[in-house]
Amino acid sequence: MAAGATKTLGGIEYQIPRNVLALLMLAQVVVVLPHIAQLSFWIVGVCLFCGYWRAMVYQGRWAYPPGWVKALLVIAAIISVAMNGKGAFSVETASSLLVLAFALKLIEMKTRRDAYVVIFLSYFVIATEFLFSQSMGIAVYEVLACVMVTGAMVGLNQLQTNVRPAASLRLAGALLAQALPLTLVLFLFFPRIAPLWNVPLPAGASSGITDRVTPGDIANLAQSDEIAFRVVFEGEVPPPEDMYWRGVVYNEFSAGTWSEGQPGRRSRAADLVPVAERVNGLSYRVLQEPTFASYLFALATPVVASDEIELRPNYTLLADKPLMSLLHYEVTSYPDVRREIGRAAPRLPGSLPELDNPRVHEWAQRVSKEEGSPERFAERILAEIRSRFVYTLQPPRLPRNNSIDAFWFDTSTGFCSHFAGAFVYMMRAAGYEARMVGGYQGGEQNPITGHVVVRQYDAHAWAEVWTQGVGWVRVDPTAAVAPERIVRGLNAALSEEDRSSLSAFTNARLEGYGGIDDLLYMFDSVQHRWNMWVVGYDANLQSEYLQELFGKRPSAVQIGVAILVGGFISLGIATLVLFLRRPRASSDPLVNAFLRFSKTAEKRGVVRESWESPMAFVRRVSLHHKLPSAEVDEVIAGLEEQLYAAGEASAAAPGRRSSLLRALRRLRLRTSLRASM
Amino acid sequence: MSSSAERVQAAPVNRSTKKSSGRTGSGLGIGGQFGSWLDRRIPPQSRVLLTQRNIFIFPTRTAIAYGVLLLLLLLGAINYQNSLIYGVAFLLGSLFLVTILHTFRNLSGLTLELLDARPGFVGDDIEFNLRISREPGKARHGIQVGWPGAIKQWVEMQSQDAVAVKLFSTAATRGWYNPGRLLIESRYPLGLLRAWTWVDLNARALVYPAPEFTPLPDPVQGQRDDGELVDRQGSDDFSSLRDYQPGDPVKHILWRRYARSDDLVLKEYSGFVEPRAWFDFERAQGDVEQRLSILTGWVLHAKQREQEFGLRLPGRIIEPSVGEAHAANALEALALFGMSE
Repeated sequence: MAAGATKTLGGIEYQIPRNVLALLMLAQVVVVLPHIAQLSFWIVGVCLFCGYWRAMVYQGRWAYPPGWVKALLVIAAIISVAMNGKGAFSVETASSLLVLAFALKLIEMKTRRDAYVVIFLSYFVIATEFLFSQSMGIAVYEVLACVMVTGAMVGLNQLQTNVRPAASLRLAGALLAQALPLTLVLFLFFPRIAPLWNVPLPAGASSGITDRVTPGDIANLAQSDEIAFRVVFEGEVPPPEDMYWRGVVYNEFSAGTWSEGQPGRRSRAADLVPVAERVNGLSYRVLQEPTFASYLFALATPVVASDEIELRPNYTLLADKPLMSLLHYEVTSYPDVRREIGRAAPRLPGSLPELDNPRVHEWAQRVSKEEGSPERFAERILAEIRSRFVYTLQPPRLPRNNSIDAFWFDTSTGFCSHFAGAFVYMMRAAGYEARMVGGYQGGEQNPITGHVVVRQYDAHAWAEVWTQGVGWVRVDPTAAVAPERIVRGLNAALSEEDRSSLSAFTNARLEGYGGIDDLLYMFDSVQHRWNMWVVGYDANLQSEYLQELFGKRPSAVQIGVAILVGGFISLGIATLVLFLRRPRASSDPLVNAFLRFSKTAEKRGVVRESWESPMAFVRRVSLHHKLPSAEVDEVIAGLEEQLYAAGEASAAAPGRRSSLLRALRRLRLRTSLRASM
Repeated sequence: MSSSAERVQAAPVNRSTKKSSGRTGSGLGIGGQFGSWLDRRIPPQSRVLLTQRNIFIFPTRTAIAYGVLLLLLLLGAINYQNSLIYGVAFLLGSLFLVTILHTFRNLSGLTLELLDARPGFVGDDIEFNLRISREPGKARHGIQVGWPGAIKQWVEMQSQDAVAVKLFSTAATRGWYNPGRLLIESRYPLGLLRAWTWVDLNARALVYPAPEFTPLPDPVQGQRDDGELVDRQGSDDFSSLRDYQPGDPVKHILWRRYARSDDLVLKEYSGFVEPRAWFDFERAQGDVEQRLSILTGWVLHAKQREQEFGLRLPGRIIEPSVGEAHAANALEALALFGMSE
């Protein structure tokens, strides 16, 4: 009997079943775990304290915390959030508060209502995690977390003594699986609308190329094999040496650091890239990973048809807000356009401090006078680099002041930004206009989907020089010292020493994995499709997709009908599972074999009576269909033995059961071959 | 208990009393228009199969909080333009839709059947015995069954095809007691939706007046010579042994002898012959209900002492006798006294 008297009026005496509680506590750990990275040490401490106390209550060792402990915890929580948020309210603060509320609720969770609060908070924390990461791994993880949380919810609605967590989890999984078709349809068809109001953005440390660069920074980026962005070209993929992904233009230099400076007056795209010169366009779609900065990357000279992306006078693209999630944008680049705008005033912007780097200053002024023209001076610098410089990932540390002096005359080793920085500095010292550009160079093509993957270790810095009548021209000093870096990527340019400074994983990635290359490409192409179709599925892609599907802009009615269809599919699957599932056949193969035999016999005109023993039925079928009596006798004897002396029979001859099975199958086959009489 | 013939006769009466007293007794008071609509929708039957015709389903208060959660998620997805948060919101929304079917399915296909009810006294919890059976297939969980305002029973059917459920309801007045419509509800699996129904299983139980224990009335002279019987069971002086005959009181069987020989032998007692008592409505004090209570007390007293008694009510006389059936008969007469029969 599974009925017990419980006072459940108003849930007064309801106690959360212990195994549900355990499941819920486990679910909380699972849900909070991915957030650990955003949480301060203090918050994690408060969480652990609450969890420990609750576990003690669970084991019956401690009582629920008294009021003053809870008060203390709340104060500790507020202080820890305030310390973490540094006064400003951000997404991190909100997520910290959420996690704290979660932990504090945990410690006083007693009633069903408390449990529901914890469950709903869990769902919220699960969703919040997607603000920080939208990778496929996290998505799968969070779906599993959803199953756990839903499983706990199932357990709350059963008789306490009957809760079996494994069954609850299975049901939760089934519920979510049945909800999937409708989810999918809603995902595809539910109108994606523009943000309703401005929200605080997660202020993750921006990664990749940033607004200031100290020579050596980019060398650090080379340590990372994280993906910066993926590119899908409409036509041919250009050769690596032509793929200079411009991101940031650095105009100012002071105290050894290059920074953006003033980007110049806003100009219309039509002025920057005259329509008449838009020929030989190269169209591609960039799927930019979140960087928490606004810089976007494109080949020169890009044109973007989007309100949210601005083409700046230095021919770089800028998003209107920091990228906290994957952004994809379509670009057409016109490599032949003359980039004439953005020429600095005669007095150089961010003019070089007179007292900085006196030796290089003097050298540049002297040599430029010898060479005469900017082209020849640039050639001279490159020749100098080619002859006595070494390209390395581990350049010696440079002093904060006179860093270029030290680089040019003393250390003579550097990474791309050292060369580019020194080059620009010397051009300017000689009175020519030059600037440094940061971005990425090259990329690896995935042979499966054909897209190009650009990783952090492809980060690069180069120079642009103003030439009368031509505009800004790219000069890459790194190409002088390490031409293989430009053509074949970073790996080709690294020395043994450099390699040993990189992580094993980055090294492996750089060198190729030999046998499992294909697997990695496959993995990358799956991730790429995930980014393309799931994470990057926005209003633009939606309207594109729906137009393809319906042939024109779908009406609201069509969308409504599509969503209804999805709902019916979900409900249909649930109905099939719930109402039409046949009673499970017996787990005994012998019983199943006999049932199949009866069914075949029934089709051939002999119906088993409810009172008829299996043996009598087999006898009757065989008489009716004149089956060979030797086989029939074997089956009947076997059935009798298995039914009435199974234990002894199997002890005597273990193979008897399977031989009976075979005989029964044979008899069924014979019956099925007889005509129905 | 009454005979089945009486039951059938009483049924239409029962319908009328239900409307007057039985219904109003219930705390939830399903009356008025809703009650009559329910009567049409789910007519009273002693056996009810739950189907889409009689199961109601509606979101619970928890579902409102769930809705707020979904709304917040959707707002977050819109404002942060985050596809995966959209995904979470859609998944949880679809989950709710699928749960509707699961919640409905948990009740659908159940058969409720009233087996019997035990008579009791006014103020007592009257026991009703129910059988809940299911169609083969999925297990049932977290079902609560109960009369309005009374303690609910949890029912779970995992491997069993049927369970017996004892339900109690407090009777407030004597006569045929109908505890009202039975509530069957379930929030399984997620607690976001409540499927429920009110079924009228034609449940009725006989409720005797609350007994009031007062000293037995003095034997009435003149009635004694109606039948000078020796009360064999009523005394404690042992007289002889004789063979057991069906109907003899079990407690007088000489069990020690039985253990040795398999013979059922009865100890016979003889002694003071208790007078045959007549319990007369007129001789009890107080108003009608009080008198009935006093008479009930007397009947119980006599029944316990296995004393022969007769009952005289205005318009009804029960001849003196002894035994369980006689007592039940007398109590029923008291319970139904004055009710239009």
